[in-house]
Amino acid sequence: MECVVQGIIETQHVEALEILLQGLCGVPKERIRVHELCLKSGPSLAVPSEIRLLCDLAQPTPSWTVRHVGGAMRGAGAEQISVLVRTMVESKVSNNALRFFYSLGYKLDHELLKIGFAFRFQRGAPITVTVTSANKMPKLHATDEAVPVTPGIQMVEITAPTAGDNYNEVGAAVSSFCEYLAPLLHLSKPGVSTGIVPTAAAAAASLLSNTGGANTPQLLYLFAMSCFQMTLLCEADAALYPLHEHDTELDDFLMLRLLRIMWSVLAY
Amino acid sequence: MSSQILAEVCQCVEGFGSAAKEGRWRTTLTIYRPVARDPSSTATSAPVPMPGDLPRDFLGLTLHDRPGAYFFILRHHRLILQADANVQSLMDKLQSYKARVVLHFEGFQYQLGDFMLRVGKCVQSHADTLRGIMMEVEYLPLSSIDKSRQIMEDFLDIWQDAVIKKSLPGQFINVELNFADYGLQDQYTPQHTALQYATCIVQLMATVRS
Repeated sequence: MECVVQGIIETQHVEALEILLQGLCGVPKERIRVHELCLKSGPSLAVPSEIRLLCDLAQPTPSWTVRHVGGAMRGAGAEQISVLVRTMVESKVSNNALRFFYSLGYKLDHELLKIGFAFRFQRGAPITVTVTSANKMPKLHATDEAVPVTPGIQMVEITAPTAGDNYNEVGAAVSSFCEYLAPLLHLSKPGVSTGIVPTAAAAAASLLSNTGGANTPQLLYLFAMSCFQMTLLCEADAALYPLHEHDTELDDFLMLRLLRIMWSVLAY
Repeated sequence: MSSQILAEVCQCVEGFGSAAKEGRWRTTLTIYRPVARDPSSTATSAPVPMPGDLPRDFLGLTLHDRPGAYFFILRHHRLILQADANVQSLMDKLQSYKARVVLHFEGFQYQLGDFMLRVGKCVQSHADTLRGIMMEVEYLPLSSIDKSRQIMEDFLDIWQDAVIKKSLPGQFINVELNFADYGLQDQYTPQHTALQYATCIVQLMATVRS
């Protein structure tokens, strides 16, 4: 199973998002270039089903994965959390997987080329953030001729694996991380459309103008200031929370504590 | 076909003197059947493809020495797919094919010089009926099928002589398989082993039917 949220961001703000993610995650980004083939069961099979074959083209030797995404969790527990919890099974497969599933009676429904980057890190749960553009191919399997489906928009997805009994904790970890990204984009359950966040341009400009190689505490401080300027006090507060865990100079630490106190007063 | 014969086959191996018993092994083979739509139940006027276009020779295998891998074989299409073990869970969720028969090949393995021998029975899951007796011979120093062909044939000749001397009823049958039909190369891999088990069960079923 996995917890998942999605959102969209304008392509012009992706660079700022990458800078923010780099600072927050502290791990190098991974390049994504995945040929995604969506297969659906043919009419001879009684139970309709869908799988995705993913060919990783970012590696020197392409590798294949088959993925099945199941239904979302329902009920009161699902209503109360801000992430979607759904079954997901994926497996590495050999490179004849497409011919194999054709032989089992599956048909190609559509294919896409996903291009972008990902960050994989640990923050309360193993979290993966992917930022990708979806590209369609004018001819069958012609990945070299792919063109963007929505040229000015990219998708952001955050996922974290969960067992059946810890989805609340994992969901909380994902939601908590989403708050750091709030000025740039809003993330929600798949299928719940939120559109582009109006503060994205200002937040992106702030990030791009102020960073230039800043380390994590400086990045969080700058991001918190951006949030404060946009009166996003909760997001600003959340951005400063982990700072006391870093090796911050005493002066900076005291200033940040003072700022937090001021914002708490303003909020209430 | 009985446990007594299996015990005598094991004694044949142990009779080689230098054979060292190394414990148990198990390979599991699953025969899948499609969950096909009933053509007569459709409400539309559009023609529905007959379920006959779905494969009926769909096998899955877990090998004794590759617990993290799973192998699917479509014999008619000459296809073998290697995947992670959790692909079985994925297939369960699709509900397009169901496991109809599960067979276990299990027994003891012996180290005999440069050879690893696995002697075992074939039984259906949750049943005690012995379906067959099989032996797997692995020559450890070489991975090339061509280069090891002669020594494997020589070993099998010695083995057949030992079985004849024991006056065991029946004989071991070695079915040659053209691995190239499945796109496999001369370098031996677990996929080769999986194909040999699939061929073994086909031979076993043909023998039972005759």
